[in-house]
Amino acid sequence: MKPAWQMSYAALALMGAAMTCLPAPAATPATLSIFAAGTLAVPFRAINALFEKQHPDVTVQAQFGGSVMMAKRITDLHQDADLLAVADYSVIPKYMFGNPPHASWYAGFARNAITFVYTDKSKYAGEINAQNWYKVLARPGVEIGRSNPDTDPSGYQTVQLLNLAEKYYNAPGLEQKVLANAPLANMRDTETALISALQLGQIDYLAIYRSDALQHHLKFLDLPARINLSDPAESAAYKQGIAHTKNGDLAGKPIVYAISMVDGSKNADWAEKYVALLLGPQGQGVMKDNGFGEFSPAYAVHVAAMPAALRKLVKPWPAS
Amino acid sequence: MKAAVAVEALTLALGGFQLKKIDFAVSRGEILVILGPNGSGKSVTLETIAGFHRPASGRVLIGGRDLTALPPERRNIGFVVQNFGLFPHLTVAQNVAIARRRHQTAAPRDAALPAFGDDAALLAYFGIAHLASRAPADLSPGEKQRVALARALAGAPDLFLFDEPFSALDAQTHDQLRDELKEFLRALAIPAIFVTHDRSDAYALADTVAVLRDGTIVQAGAAVEIFEKPASAFVARFVGVENVLSGHIIETSQNGLSIEVGRQVLHAAMPAKTLPAGSAVFVAIRAEDAAVCSPHLGGQPTPKANRLEGCVTGFRSEGALITLSIDCGFRLKAYLLGPQVRALNLEIGSMIAVEIAPDKIHPMAE
Amino acid sequence: MTGEAAAGRLWRRWAAPSQPSGLYLLCWFLGTVLLAFLVIPLVALALTQSGASLAGVARMADVRDAITLSLECAFLSAAVAALAGVPLAYGLARTAFPGKGVIAALVDLPLAVPHTVAGIALLMVFGRQGFFGEPLQTVGLKFWGTVAGVVIAMLFVSAPYTVNAARIGFEAVDPRLEKIARTLGLGPWRTFFRVTLPLARRSIMTGVTLTYARSISEFGAVIILVYYPMTAPVKIYELFLRFGLEQSAAAAVLLLIVSLSLFIALRTLAQRGGPIRENR
Repeated sequence: MKPAWQMSYAALALMGAAMTCLPAPAATPATLSIFAAGTLAVPFRAINALFEKQHPDVTVQAQFGGSVMMAKRITDLHQDADLLAVADYSVIPKYMFGNPPHASWYAGFARNAITFVYTDKSKYAGEINAQNWYKVLARPGVEIGRSNPDTDPSGYQTVQLLNLAEKYYNAPGLEQKVLANAPLANMRDTETALISALQLGQIDYLAIYRSDALQHHLKFLDLPARINLSDPAESAAYKQGIAHTKNGDLAGKPIVYAISMVDGSKNADWAEKYVALLLGPQGQGVMKDNGFGEFSPAYAVHVAAMPAALRKLVKPWPAS
Repeated sequence: MKAAVAVEALTLALGGFQLKKIDFAVSRGEILVILGPNGSGKSVTLETIAGFHRPASGRVLIGGRDLTALPPERRNIGFVVQNFGLFPHLTVAQNVAIARRRHQTAAPRDAALPAFGDDAALLAYFGIAHLASRAPADLSPGEKQRVALARALAGAPDLFLFDEPFSALDAQTHDQLRDELKEFLRALAIPAIFVTHDRSDAYALADTVAVLRDGTIVQAGAAVEIFEKPASAFVARFVGVENVLSGHIIETSQNGLSIEVGRQVLHAAMPAKTLPAGSAVFVAIRAEDAAVCSPHLGGQPTPKANRLEGCVTGFRSEGALITLSIDCGFRLKAYLLGPQVRALNLEIGSMIAVEIAPDKIHPMAE
Repeated sequence: MTGEAAAGRLWRRWAAPSQPSGLYLLCWFLGTVLLAFLVIPLVALALTQSGASLAGVARMADVRDAITLSLECAFLSAAVAALAGVPLAYGLARTAFPGKGVIAALVDLPLAVPHTVAGIALLMVFGRQGFFGEPLQTVGLKFWGTVAGVVIAMLFVSAPYTVNAARIGFEAVDPRLEKIARTLGLGPWRTFFRVTLPLARRSIMTGVTLTYARSISEFGAVIILVYYPMTAPVKIYELFLRFGLEQSAAAAVLLLIVSLSLFIALRTLAQRGGPIRENR
């Protein structure tokens, strides 16, 4: 028995020693804290790496989650962040421009579209295309996943898309029939939580952003620009799509990712440089590589409130 | 007459331990004591008889019925363990009532004994009716023994098994409970097997004794025979023979053997199994058989009487009994009572004589 | 022991402890620190609420439904853990077989698995196209978005507590008592229910209560399988996303109060009858 005991103690001692040898987080002069929407995770990590290479004495720490939740962590939980990037540009004025204000401007830097992704295992995967999708998705027995419209932008954007599609294809009842295949059981806070469900065959189709579809190498449908909320030029049309949520009736808007510097942050200089990188050609290139639509240049609201160096990178948001 | 309980050629391997061909029989009303050092297999033997281990070969028979294939609950056996094993979550009455069997299968019983199904009569028989609603933790050892017996009896046993029940008790309680147990068992006339490492239990309880060593019975028979004629040095020491000496046989004759021990020659009666001259032997002499007397007592020393002269090298006192260590050509221990020591004026260095009768010198081959 | 004798003993222990007083002091100090660490955040959370705010959340039907659902599913989870875990614990306690140490360690494994991973693993096996999920779906048993799904997620993360506590309880029962019961004519089943189980009852109850508590609080694994109907942790999270800290904290404190009352009640039930005094 003795050798077994000795070996156990030795193993424990080794583990303890190994843990003390783990590198402690390095103490750098500055840490830039970014709160961003979940769908920005992949491109932002690339941009963070670029930024750290250009500015070696800054570390970028990014946290990702639902846009509304990240905003509330700043406004309600008073967590420290230097930058906030959201999937729906309206989240910033709605939550951050309040009283007291946590931000005073924002810049739209990327575009996205709502689409439906699927796998080979999905029902009717062989026959679905960009023309008949709304009929296929309405068939009984098809399981569709989406995110919660009350808490997540892509949730209500999906509903708005279906609402617009009903008029576009002149197919009354389309929204209701498709949503019937996307019951509460298939809903989550963020659409990305459902990707594993899609891959495991629990659901057949998932309403998600085009960027996510490309990042996860999933099959997706290229839906018409008139309904998929991808083009700011179609803003007037998008307004016709209504989603009824617990936060009120929300009218459709183009999906524009926006970023802002948080008021009162201690790293305003670095934050400004980050935004410059993001809005410039390098940042835009990364966004495009990851399946996002680009802006050249970015649109901004309250340009006068922006730091001087950033003003030349943007142009005012077109009135809609 | 067929024995009430018979164990035949029981062989078992358990982990690293082995029981080899265990054989014995117990009659109605008889108590068999299995005596052995710790680790000799006493508990394993009991548990095999009770049905908790399946033997590789051999049989267990009770009342002529072969039980070897039966599970414990079908064997009509009463089991009493160290600290008596009362169920701590049940009262005394519930302990007794929990037994399931009510019909004894073997020989008929005395009508004076309580019927098996009658719990109240059982409690009254053992004098514990007033404890019926007490918890076991509140009982004295004596009370616990009675409850354990009553409970075992409620299971209509054909055989009692006792696994060192007194080991954890102080000497006085030990003796008292042992006496009580003997009385109960005599009255119940149910065969019993009692397992212990304590030879005083064997002296007090046993009708027959089996000595167990490393899973084998090294000697079995009537209690008297084991104590007075041990078969080997091991058994001799285990049953408390104070003098186990080594020597060798010089000469054999029709009267007996001459054995050289140390610097002396002892004359011993011929043992049951003849031993050849020249062979090395062990000699067992019980300390009470070494009669101490004054060296200057008159009379001719005769070779047949084995009279030895020696001097006292030590005393060991256990109250009234004193063990004398004597050097008389070899080391010998003798028992004396206190008054005798004073009468002979003995102290360390005193010269004395010891007489040992030839039939009290017991030679053993191993 | 008389009252006087008891008081005298207590005084002696305080005034002149026989053990080195440094040891007692350290125990008290560290114990108080840990207790404070556990209790103060909960008290601070509770103090953010007033009777009115709690009454307000209690009026919300969806909050009440979520708490009720959590309690019911946790109960089912604890029941399954008891029914299947107690026999497993008995086997681990009484039998010796090669690889027993591995099995015992496997029982603890769910405790080390990140909750989201656990949820995905369960979905893989019990989902629409899962190894068990597919055949079970044909007989009408679904785990996606159902009470059954909540229960298996809760069960996965909390079963080890029942098994471990029950095993320790069974190991503490003297095997000789079981042997004696057998010789008295009780078969293996009767012996288990009349002797072994009552003696291990306390440990088992403690384990099941822990399982119940752990089940109520599970979030990460549950939310992979079931978002609607919402359990209490999921509801609290949704309230936080929609309304912010105040409402979610109120719902959280309400859940805490309900849970605390339940646990006290369960503990009292488990200790019923006083401690079983072993044979001296």
